[in-house]
Amino acid sequence: MTTPMLEIRNLHARIEDREILKGVNLIVPAGQVHAVMGRNGSGKSTLSYVLAGKEDYAVTEGEVLLDGEDILGLDPSERAAKGLFLAFQYPVEVPGVATMTFLKAAINSQRKARGESEMTTPDFMRAVKDAGRDLHIDSDMLKRALNVGFSGGEKKRAEILQMALLKPKMCVLDETDSGLDIDALKVVSEGVNALRDPYRSMLVITHYQRLLNHIVPDVVHVFSDGRVVESGGKELALELEAKGYAGFDEAAA
Amino acid sequence: MSVHVPVRIGPAEQALIGQLQSAGASAAAERLQAAGLPTRKVESYHYTDLKMLLRAVPDLAVSTEATSEPAFRVPGAHRIPMTNGGADISGQMPAGMVATIAKGSALTERDDVLVRLNSALAKETLKLEIRSRATQIVHVDRRTEGGPSHVNDSVHLFVADGSKATIIETFSGTDEAHVSNHASYVAVGEGAELTHILLDLSGGNATNFATAEYHIGAGAKLRTIAIHIGAGLSRFNLFTRHEGEGAHGDFTGLNLTTEGQHSDITLEVTHAVPRCSSKPLFKQIARGRSTAAFQGKIVVARDAQKTDAKLMMQGLMLSDEAQIYSKPELEIFADDVVCGHGSTTGALDEDSMFYLMSRGIPQTIAESMLVRGFIEEIIDPVEDEALHLALEGVVERWLNP
Repeated sequence: MTTPMLEIRNLHARIEDREILKGVNLIVPAGQVHAVMGRNGSGKSTLSYVLAGKEDYAVTEGEVLLDGEDILGLDPSERAAKGLFLAFQYPVEVPGVATMTFLKAAINSQRKARGESEMTTPDFMRAVKDAGRDLHIDSDMLKRALNVGFSGGEKKRAEILQMALLKPKMCVLDETDSGLDIDALKVVSEGVNALRDPYRSMLVITHYQRLLNHIVPDVVHVFSDGRVVESGGKELALELEAKGYAGFDEAAA
Repeated sequence: MSVHVPVRIGPAEQALIGQLQSAGASAAAERLQAAGLPTRKVESYHYTDLKMLLRAVPDLAVSTEATSEPAFRVPGAHRIPMTNGGADISGQMPAGMVATIAKGSALTERDDVLVRLNSALAKETLKLEIRSRATQIVHVDRRTEGGPSHVNDSVHLFVADGSKATIIETFSGTDEAHVSNHASYVAVGEGAELTHILLDLSGGNATNFATAEYHIGAGAKLRTIAIHIGAGLSRFNLFTRHEGEGAHGDFTGLNLTTEGQHSDITLEVTHAVPRCSSKPLFKQIARGRSTAAFQGKIVVARDAQKTDAKLMMQGLMLSDEAQIYSKPELEIFADDVVCGHGSTTGALDEDSMFYLMSRGIPQTIAESMLVRGFIEEIIDPVEDEALHLALEGVVERWLNP
């Protein structure tokens, strides 16, 4: 059997004294797109933060294997260099740091960590221009400070631009549809779909089924009270939409 | 009946009193004898107890040649060396600028020990008068050279009506236990535009005091940037006064402190006439065991209606042992004004750190990107590219020594 791109085994995590993840088991094979659906407060976003290595959360049990390698001992930048990418639900505004400076630092830090040579400025400029075109990102937006004064839609498009430039092998998209109108949702989804690849996997975390009309998943996982309670095909998302999450709560209890 | 408690006079005060007496400034000497150097009980020195911090004062400086390398160079700028209080104006001045030397200090009398010392001890003032909108930057390179010296030097800058200038004054010299007490008197004429930068690059063993007073004419635009980097003990006194309607002041500063340093920036903005605006913005970053302090006061006179003033202070703590003090104050006597102040101090934002690191940027690089971003807001408005780069360079050296 080939190594899954992401394997989460019995993952428990807490913030301060509160346990939020209570034994998550999840496998995403290479090239597949999996959706994680759950109601607010079920621990979906915590899962994305724990995968990316946010300090506030303490992992108390379990393993996370990225392409067969345990990443829980790595800091967020090391995980990113190994090919993990988290598209934030709320991208952080960073005043004083120009978007282009940030993009270049991110690309070259990852290349350096992997022992590759730095990208030249002309190559970098070309890559940004090419990736930005499809996402309707103009150069004015890139001249501003990172995410500062970006609209909700601009922030999400900027996340996908970063994803396109960094070429991760495992993408975690946390509520990428939140705050998007239908047109923006389409642009973002097209951007994500363009990055689907037999060597790239995605974990799409969402509250609503509508995103999954645009980014069609191979597998849907239902998340409740800090763990996966049911997995199935894309029709599971429709079932959830029809019945609500209440029907799945019993499985979690 | 008042009770006189005799003030204990320490060696620093003893030396200063002797120097004042020799200079014939008996009133200033008596005052110091009676009150001593200011302690934390004096409000304007609350965070910088000079009696405790200033342990010794060396002999008054003798004139000498500059031996240290310029600590700061701006390509294309016109540099005027000023060594141990003496300015060298022998070179060809830029078109539209006249340089002369006058006797005594340029400062206006004020109840402040540093002002009194400079007024009594500064022998001469370098006067620069600018009548032009020429863009050549003027760099007054003020240095304290040789063995430990006590220097009192003075500069008078006048930017005539409708003129435009960028003037930077740097403080540096040999890394000795100097006490340098600098003065700048800055007058900005009607409709004139001035960017005035004070940059301390003294050695860590040195004490650097700098007092600048600003007089801003009608419709004038003034940007000031006070930057502390070098001196072990530093105090900036900034006194500004809007004197003509429609004047605007962007008073800004960067107080950067590292292991063993104590640096204080104290600002007093006075709105004396109606319809003026000011936007003081000061940032402090402290690391190691160091202390950075900022006091900012905006005074709006009874006649200064329609004043628009917003004072902002931001602090960034890079170590657990660092201390940052911040005291914004408003004193408003007019009833139709928009005034505000704010102050925030903390460590680097954890969410920003996580965001940068989640993109593969290692911790140390992410930290310096955020610190640089924090500083950038102060340096960014400097239009001249060479000067901007030079300022970024000195800050970069502070970040990565």
